[in-house]
Amino acid sequence: MYGGDEVSAVVVDLGSHSCKAGYAGDDAPKAVFPAVVGSIEQTESSALMKAEGDSDAKAADTKASTKAADAEKTNMGRKLFVGNQALGFRRDYMEVVPAMKDGLIADWDVVEAIWDHALRERLLVDPKEHPMLLAEPSFNTQKQREKTVELMFEKYQIPAVFLAKNAVLTSFASGRATSLVVDCGGGSTTVAAVHDGYVLNKAIVRSPIGGEVLTDCLLNIMETKNVVVSIRPRFSFKRREVRSGEFEIIKQDFPNTTESYCKYMQRVVAADIKEAVCRVPDTTFDENGYANLPTTPYELPDGQTIEVGAERFKIPDLLFSPSLIQTIPGMEKLSAESGSNLRGLPSMVIDSINKCDVDIRRELFSSILLAGGTAAMQQMKERLEKELMEEAPQAARVKVLASGNAIERRFSVWIGGSILASLGSFQQMWFSKAEYEEHGSAYVQRKCP
Amino acid sequence: MADAKDILGLPKGGLPGGPLAAADKRSSRTLKEAPTKKPDGVSREVYALTGGVPPLMPTLEPSALKRRNVSQSKKVSWRWLPFTTSARTDNLQLYHWVRTEDGVAPLGDYAFAKYNKTVEIIRYTDEEYTKYLMDPNWTRQETDELFDLCEQFDLRFIIIADRIAPHRSVEELKNRYYSVAKTIVLARAATPEDVADHTLVKDTYNMQYEVERKRALGIMLSQSRQQEREDAEVLAEARRIMEARLITKVEDEAELAATLATSSAVMDEMEKISQTPAQASSPSSLPVTLPTSMSASMAMSGLVGIASNGPRTPRVYLRGACLAQMIHSTVTAAGARTIKRVDQALEELGVRVKPKVPTQTVCAQHMELRNEVLTLLNLQKQVQWKETEVSVLHDNPYADIPPPTPNTPKKAHRGGDHERVSTRTTALGPDVDSGEMRGTGERSGKREHKRKAPARFSVTPPSPPHHKRARKLKSSEG
Repeated sequence: MYGGDEVSAVVVDLGSHSCKAGYAGDDAPKAVFPAVVGSIEQTESSALMKAEGDSDAKAADTKASTKAADAEKTNMGRKLFVGNQALGFRRDYMEVVPAMKDGLIADWDVVEAIWDHALRERLLVDPKEHPMLLAEPSFNTQKQREKTVELMFEKYQIPAVFLAKNAVLTSFASGRATSLVVDCGGGSTTVAAVHDGYVLNKAIVRSPIGGEVLTDCLLNIMETKNVVVSIRPRFSFKRREVRSGEFEIIKQDFPNTTESYCKYMQRVVAADIKEAVCRVPDTTFDENGYANLPTTPYELPDGQTIEVGAERFKIPDLLFSPSLIQTIPGMEKLSAESGSNLRGLPSMVIDSINKCDVDIRRELFSSILLAGGTAAMQQMKERLEKELMEEAPQAARVKVLASGNAIERRFSVWIGGSILASLGSFQQMWFSKAEYEEHGSAYVQRKCP
Repeated sequence: MADAKDILGLPKGGLPGGPLAAADKRSSRTLKEAPTKKPDGVSREVYALTGGVPPLMPTLEPSALKRRNVSQSKKVSWRWLPFTTSARTDNLQLYHWVRTEDGVAPLGDYAFAKYNKTVEIIRYTDEEYTKYLMDPNWTRQETDELFDLCEQFDLRFIIIADRIAPHRSVEELKNRYYSVAKTIVLARAATPEDVADHTLVKDTYNMQYEVERKRALGIMLSQSRQQEREDAEVLAEARRIMEARLITKVEDEAELAATLATSSAVMDEMEKISQTPAQASSPSSLPVTLPTSMSASMAMSGLVGIASNGPRTPRVYLRGACLAQMIHSTVTAAGARTIKRVDQALEELGVRVKPKVPTQTVCAQHMELRNEVLTLLNLQKQVQWKETEVSVLHDNPYADIPPPTPNTPKKAHRGGDHERVSTRTTALGPDVDSGEMRGTGERSGKREHKRKAPARFSVTPPSPPHHKRARKLKSSEG
């Protein structure tokens, strides 16, 4: 029943932090690039050139190596630059515009540009020939789904589409029909219960603390702590070899660089520090206990070394005790917005399970899946399991499952999509163009439950 | 190997009389034969390695492999062809690789179309709805929506409850669906017997039970480990206090029993006799012989006591009926100990053990009362047994509850309700004493009984628990 039958479908997963695209049947996406674009307001007087970047500036989250050129999209007064190369090359007046806000699509032009880039430049497919499986957030609204489907059919003329929820795909990636999915992504953390392949909408619990928040916190701490050493974005310096092996830093000044771009490039570096150095502590973080910890050195791109001390543990602990965010300078905005609503990961899990029907609670407890880039942090699984065992009832056996491979954890949604789209018994479930023409885009609610 | 020995100059037979002696003869033969008989495709030395004889099993001929490849009857090629599946309602054509033989694709439906199974949902017509299915809690629209969702989600009620617009619980939805389906099935059937075997008619959905069950399960699952530990501690503490209090109470009761007017001598006698075997049996293992002999003696003493009551009251002739009944109950019922407990319960209630005016109605009611008290006591024993089971499970969730006796199967005593079980060795530890163990024999027989009447315990008067504890302590004391 679970035999495979490949129909050369394409799987695209657009998240808050990065977009993953590839062919169904593969075990990892071919194209991974940030889900933000550079945008330059196009006015009559400004002269814009096509820029060709050749080296990969971003080292943070690139998993696939490609050689594609960047994409541009002239769109009603805005020129958009998508992809690693395009973003990595510094341009005057280029703003960084995100595609998603609060987990849902905010800017449709940006999303179109991203899809174009993914399909036409990275995967090199003609959308007319390939059915498309799109991953959407578990809490997606009806309006957004309709718009997505409309865009896909009208603009790209695809033969068939299917919108699958992130939690369901993660569940399928681990071979389960029922599980509790803890998706620690870039933009937010979502805990959703999946039963028999369907998401239980009433049991979705979200928190705005995601990988990007952690990166910001780390950046702020580093800036306040290290006055001498500052994290410089890559474009602001050049290295020149003075002697063999030794480099000299030459500062480059680009006055027309926008603030958002500067911040974005700094975040790239901070994200790399976070991924390299941070670890989830075994117990709740407290300042005194970790004060005398030996620091870990990290070499910045410009050659300077910074020492990371207790922050290594403090930052990941934000997921478990969000009240720590108030102690971090510069994060007042976030703590003011959500304030006391912020909950730690274990309590979100218990919350979500308690909102489900009593009969399935035991099964959910014993199959908790970790997904997302932030969940790839070290010791995350062990800490979560330990905290849950304390809070969970004794009658239920708690088991947290996470793939050992960091790549699989990060791309588990995409991998689930790849599995789903290549199953033989899935081929009857596509939402085809004929059905769209007959019933309209609202039919997506019926076809993709 | 023979060649190697040859090279080394060792004698081919190895040690004289060794296992190689026989082989040696063969190998020497083959060595002689080898120059004359050389098998093709294999060099002489290699052949000699195998002992010089052809292998027992025929090996694969390399030439045969070359041969088979070429001469195939069909020409197999893989083609990228469009396909349709009968599981789809439109005619979407997707492409996939197909193994074609001589350019012809295999016929037949899409291989995976056979997995497209759906649940058959009964749909009602308008008139059926107005005739049979009106319900104050459900509008027509809601019922329609429910049935649509049932069809879409294949009766996965948990998901249906999640998606239905006005929030309803899973039990309500199931109740509505199953009652509607059953009504329709019955209405459409020619006679009720036709569909008596239909699953919808045979098994009805018991909403009340489900609600209760889920509530209980919810309570069980809602306590965190911390809370459970605290609860267990509190319970243990409470039990200790209760037991300490009862020790003093038992002593008072013993005195009270001694001063009762009608049954003073007999009861004292019986108490003392009961106390001694109880004391002897206070360690958890009870020898078989002792209680039976004691029971025999107590039965005798009971009879003697009852008989000796005769001269006390003048109405001897009416006593016969009551006496006969009581003797009957003593012999066939749960045994002397239980009878004594019943007597004590009666005492606490203020009823005389022997009715003062033994008319027929009075005796009948007295017997009835006795029987009810007996039932009550048995049920209490059951509860205690269950509690101990629960505490064992708490400590070790994955342990098996040992059967009452290691040698007897669990449900051995299905027979008489009042069978007294003598030998009970359990692994449950010193907490559980012999008094509680006695209930196990009746447990299996009484199990269903207890389940059907859970409400009984809510009206249990407080005195019998005291009574029960008093009994327990008495038997374990000493």
